[in-house]
Amino acid sequence: MGGERSMAKIKIATDWLAACAGCHMSLLDLDERLVQLLDKIEITSSPITDLKYPPREGVTVGILTGTVNNTAHLEVARVMRERCQILVSLGDCSVLGGVPLMRNQVKMEDALRRAYVETESTVDGLIPRSEELAQPIFARPLDQVVKVDVYLPGCPPSADAIHFVIGELLEGRIPVLKDQVLKYD
Amino acid sequence: MDKVVNIRINGRHIRARAGQTVMEAAKGVGIDIPSLCHHPAVTPIGACRICVVEIERQRGLQPACTFPVTEGMRVETESPKVVEERRFILGLLFSEGNHYCPFCESSGDCELQALAYRYGLDHWIYQNPGEARPVDGTREHFIMDHNRCILCRRCIRVCSELAANNTLGVKYRGAKTVICADGGVPFGESTCISCGTCLQICPTGALIDRKSAYAGRESQVERTKSVCMFCSVGCGSEIITRAGRVLRVEGEWEEHNNGVLCLKGRFELFKETRKRIETPLIRKDSRMQQVSWEEALDTLAQAFKKSPSKKIGAWTTCRTLNLTLSEFVAVFLGKIGANVGVLELTLARFKLPLGGSLNDLLSADTILVTGADPLSDHPVIGYHIKRACMNGARLVLVSDNNNEMRRFAHKTFSLNEMGKAVKFCQNSASPVVLYGEETPPEQAEKLAALQRKAHFIPLFPESNGFHAKALGLRANFAPSQMEAVYLLLEDTSLSDEKIKQAREAKFLAVHASYHSPITEVADIVFPALLWYEHEGSLYNLEGKKVAVRKAVSLPEGLIPENEVLTQLAARM
Repeated sequence: MGGERSMAKIKIATDWLAACAGCHMSLLDLDERLVQLLDKIEITSSPITDLKYPPREGVTVGILTGTVNNTAHLEVARVMRERCQILVSLGDCSVLGGVPLMRNQVKMEDALRRAYVETESTVDGLIPRSEELAQPIFARPLDQVVKVDVYLPGCPPSADAIHFVIGELLEGRIPVLKDQVLKYD
Repeated sequence: MDKVVNIRINGRHIRARAGQTVMEAAKGVGIDIPSLCHHPAVTPIGACRICVVEIERQRGLQPACTFPVTEGMRVETESPKVVEERRFILGLLFSEGNHYCPFCESSGDCELQALAYRYGLDHWIYQNPGEARPVDGTREHFIMDHNRCILCRRCIRVCSELAANNTLGVKYRGAKTVICADGGVPFGESTCISCGTCLQICPTGALIDRKSAYAGRESQVERTKSVCMFCSVGCGSEIITRAGRVLRVEGEWEEHNNGVLCLKGRFELFKETRKRIETPLIRKDSRMQQVSWEEALDTLAQAFKKSPSKKIGAWTTCRTLNLTLSEFVAVFLGKIGANVGVLELTLARFKLPLGGSLNDLLSADTILVTGADPLSDHPVIGYHIKRACMNGARLVLVSDNNNEMRRFAHKTFSLNEMGKAVKFCQNSASPVVLYGEETPPEQAEKLAALQRKAHFIPLFPESNGFHAKALGLRANFAPSQMEAVYLLLEDTSLSDEKIKQAREAKFLAVHASYHSPITEVADIVFPALLWYEHEGSLYNLEGKKVAVRKAVSLPEGLIPENEVLTQLAARM
């Protein structure tokens, strides 16, 4: 990462909401292509690096995975939207709502009781009520809380699909998904 | 000749037939207009609107599946306006229910998903409220998940138009609309006959087969076109397998059964719990012991050589294929000179015509059923009769017992009132007569009066009854007078009474697929193949020779029945 070349690098920030980490695993599946990409991009922050939050000065591309599931996610989504020019919604949870959406079908209190008290492995469970904690909300896909510019569904999207989307963005195009790149599962 | 209509689709000149829809005309020349609610097997209703096309001088877009072609018509099937509209319709479809793919059984084979891919939907355009709808798992063989349903109503139409059962409909209105059975009872408690035609035609993952769910996508399975062996209707079927295992059976749309199978044909295969016979067995020291084919065949040949041919009896089930049946006759009658026969009745007593088809049945105005209960024993014939009746045909039932068809009969006569029934048919234009074994022969003779007018469909009790009758085989089971007896059972079993009779013979050989009470008492047992392990043919009740195909590979160490008989003949 030579000093003078990094000036020209496109800055990308990424973070996850209610996600299983599968989408970021798929990102890592880029393998050596990730190393090649790093000639052109700089990953400023991600859930798998020390720096978690997108820099105040902003980035060109923001990538979010996961469902908007609690009040903290609302904040993460809002900050990412404010600090990036192009927001990519990556993975089925972020694009369509994903598995966490199933929680909407039961009452919030029932879901919490099941998770923290009734699970078979729990002894003397307690529903966490601290005000410092994020509060669960009606689960929803990312584009229902902030404007999304690029969608990449998939559970997870393949490394090829992620490579295609980043490649198109680097070429200055909004990617149009089709064939093997467009998968819902 | 049908009148030709000249139209243009996407600028291409097409000669369509008058009366065709735009969809049919396009399909005829290989232009693919997407469809969801439409299926060639049922009446088009234009419910889903995904097939909308631009037609010159028509206000708005029109559904291709219901719009008839007219002279000079100009159609655009993929114009920007059409594509935009289809994306909008897909957006609406995804806005209700749960069409989330990753945990859906149909992902990869779903027609809705395929369309979303085709039109590049990378997200859902409209918010999905995510309200849960119920899942109905009250039926034994398949589940209805209302969350996956797009209300295309294909299931309703096959239920009423093909299975003629009229169980399915919709209840509620607007966004609350759901498919229901009998106005709203659990499917398992409804009049549903579990023929599974709806399961086969469902375009999404709303109807799920319990056995084959998640066991393989279309791209991972093999399909073998074959024939159902559960009764003599011989429904065209497809056996779907993966890695040598049968996953499910589907009806063949192009065959005389129009894609419909019955509960037995579609699901019975998977209820098999009997233990398979894997090698030849010989009774030694009062125990059945595994032996080689050589030893078993030598022993059988020895036993037959010891007995005078008049004292050898051989009976086979009619549930066997042509080649085996012919070889059976050639070996036991031709070579050995034994007494031969079949285990089931073959309508051999009747001198009535054959050759009527299921299509004749659908175009009949009067249908006479005598000595049989098609809905119980030949269900797909029963459905065809009900279909014909829904289209105005009258059913004349000649029966003395509590017949399933009675509810649908226009007139019912007792068996000794055949004359009246015949007279009724004489006054109709296109009668069809279906006759079964329970008809007394002297009454059956009266049916001969309809010979010139009616089509006759024989309802054979077993699948290859037609060929057994043609070979002159009769149900003359009398093993107790024999010294050596050979029984070819395939996968059928014998009643206790018949087993007792058979065991009176000094030497009893049984050729069967499964262990059963008779294999316990036999002197020698040969393993038989299952019908879908065979490559062969049979004659269905229309008298048509149909190919039964091998869907899974031959189990190790097994020899087809006809070859076993050939090898036996070589030793005699």
